[in-house]
Amino acid sequence: MHFLVPLLTTMLPMLYGLSVAAYARIYTTEPAESGGSNSHRWGPRVLRAAVLFHLLYLIARGWTEGHLPLVSIYDFLSATALALASVYLYLEMRQGIRTTGIFVLPLVLLIQLVASAYGNAVPATKPLINPIWFELHTLAAVLGYGAFFVSAIYGILFLLLYREIKAHRMSFFFTRMPPLESLGRMNVSASSAGLVLLALAILMGIGWGKAAGLHPFADPKTWLTIAAWCMLGFAVLAYHRLGWRGPRAVYASLAGFATLLLSRVVTDLFVNSFHTFK
Amino acid sequence: MAEFAAGPLDLFCVGLSYHTSPIEVRDAVVLNDEEVARAMEALRVRGGAAEAMILSTCNRTEFYARGARIPDPAGFIAALLREIKGVDLQLQAGKHLYTLREEESIQHLFRVACGLDSMVLGEPQILGQVKDASELSTRLGGAGPVTERLLDTVLRCAKRARSETGIGRGPVSSAYAGVSLAAKVLGNLGEKRALLVGAGEMSALAWTHLKDAGVTQFMVANRNRERGEAFGEKYCSRAVSLEALPVVLPGADLVVSATRAPGAVITESMVRTAMKIRRNRPLFCLDLAVPRDIEPQVARLENVFLHDLDALGQIVAQSLSQRRAEIPRVETIIAEELGRFLKWHRSLAVKPTVTAFRHHFEKIAAEELERHRGRFRPEDVAVAESLAHGIVQKLLHRPTTRLRNAEEDGLEGAARLETVRDLFGIESEGGNAGEAGEHSGQGGSDADRNAR
Repeated sequence: MHFLVPLLTTMLPMLYGLSVAAYARIYTTEPAESGGSNSHRWGPRVLRAAVLFHLLYLIARGWTEGHLPLVSIYDFLSATALALASVYLYLEMRQGIRTTGIFVLPLVLLIQLVASAYGNAVPATKPLINPIWFELHTLAAVLGYGAFFVSAIYGILFLLLYREIKAHRMSFFFTRMPPLESLGRMNVSASSAGLVLLALAILMGIGWGKAAGLHPFADPKTWLTIAAWCMLGFAVLAYHRLGWRGPRAVYASLAGFATLLLSRVVTDLFVNSFHTFK
Repeated sequence: MAEFAAGPLDLFCVGLSYHTSPIEVRDAVVLNDEEVARAMEALRVRGGAAEAMILSTCNRTEFYARGARIPDPAGFIAALLREIKGVDLQLQAGKHLYTLREEESIQHLFRVACGLDSMVLGEPQILGQVKDASELSTRLGGAGPVTERLLDTVLRCAKRARSETGIGRGPVSSAYAGVSLAAKVLGNLGEKRALLVGAGEMSALAWTHLKDAGVTQFMVANRNRERGEAFGEKYCSRAVSLEALPVVLPGADLVVSATRAPGAVITESMVRTAMKIRRNRPLFCLDLAVPRDIEPQVARLENVFLHDLDALGQIVAQSLSQRRAEIPRVETIIAEELGRFLKWHRSLAVKPTVTAFRHHFEKIAAEELERHRGRFRPEDVAVAESLAHGIVQKLLHRPTTRLRNAEEDGLEGAARLETVRDLFGIESEGGNAGEAGEHSGQGGSDADRNAR
């Protein structure tokens, strides 16, 4: 397993790079309504391979290090890249729309490039109490972040297409996008998945923190995350219960996502928190 | 490409289209399957055509024939149309009918199939129509090795043009632009409810387009109740009066308004209230009336998408200009595919010559061996055979390669081929018909004969 880690560290950005190239070709040559031509099937195949190799990379690292590889900020970045790619792939399979991949995958490539370039050194870790709960908490949080990231991207695409249609423009972008309704649904679906995952992360984090003798509620990160969760929860609830559709619903979810990102930045740069990555 | 004269295509196209004829003439000469069969028969029996195809649509009727013995193709087709359709184009044949020959006719067919010659640039129906014409020609026995290969190439070229360029992208009619926009906003139109305001021709046209796009639930609102009900009965829609608009509006996802009312029929306050009732679900409105039926302020409401005739016209103009910009890319694809087809056709003439040329030398070697066989010891015969074969192979290697490349070398290649035929009397030997069959898959002898 030892030899796999450096090999996969190099391979992953290459595979994601290939996926970006494939999805760029899909975007430039395939209208959203075409349903996918034969010549473009290799795009999703390369992405699936990248996701599988990424999972293999995590397993290899977990095997060699004896714990889930989510210790450094680079580990977090790599896991976020995997979460983004997985959530995107899931939505693509559900909706059958491939032309939006080009808006998600370059971000995945960028994040994985940073993670692969700087994340080789394995930091020493202190032994944890009940490590499985901590690892599950981290895993759920990372997946939740990935889902919200994808949701935000679909939200932005929704707003761009909304403006195009309102302005009676049928640009190249217009021809490549799925219907507004689909973009809105993808935005809410990803947000809903993120909400569940983040709720699990919060609950497991609080439970584990208390068991480990920490004070989760004394950490500003906990409160900022709960605030972001409430905002995102309101956006999803408003969509389903209050009938919020269109830009209003998207702005609400984007505000929640911005708060979530802010909580990460504030935690890492400005406050003393046990959530800070070293 | 026209410089290579190794094998004439012996093809002509005579036809009329919207470029040369008004709709009355085009309508009068449209041929159904049975009439196509009669015309095909006439082309083959009376015209002596080896292969034929007829493309007949509302915008064009064209006759393609290969190997025909017709001195005046336009006159022949004019007479044929008089006979089958009772339309006398004889006096004006030159005005309505155009005649294209050889490569020009093939290039024309490529352009037609790619939608470059269509009334609406890049329209998709023509591809299906060419395909149908090709199938009909095969069914009626009009297809031969060359036309079959030609039509395969043409259809592949048209598919490439549609998938590799933007020639078919974007709506080019107002009605289609409206439906495309509605689908872009609302997604699957099959689950949506449409409200038609007005029961005139425009509403009927909108109904057709929406029906084609998958809409199944319709409602019609009209000032004149009886007329509305008649429309409703004809188009399977529920009819209501205009006064009921505020009541029915919240239930619609898609509104198409086309009345002759002097002022707005659907006001901003009416839509605002409807949006509250429908909990802000998207509402798509098409205003096809002049003067407008829907207050323009409606467009400012969130999740309401209002498009009037000006907006649709703007979209259509944009699409057409984008399609026009794609013409050079389509022309490049046509040139590639046309070149490929002509290369194949030329190879029909090259390959039999090469085979006959080699056969000529191998035959001489075999004859000489046979003549001197008695002078060899039995154990040396195999060595002598191998020696003779080796010398022939070595001597022929370069000339064979040069001959095989003849099709690439244009006029020079044609001259080379002609010289070889002349020097070795290959023409008189009749070549090898079977070789042409290898290329075409069937009817090789015919293809070869014509290619020569």
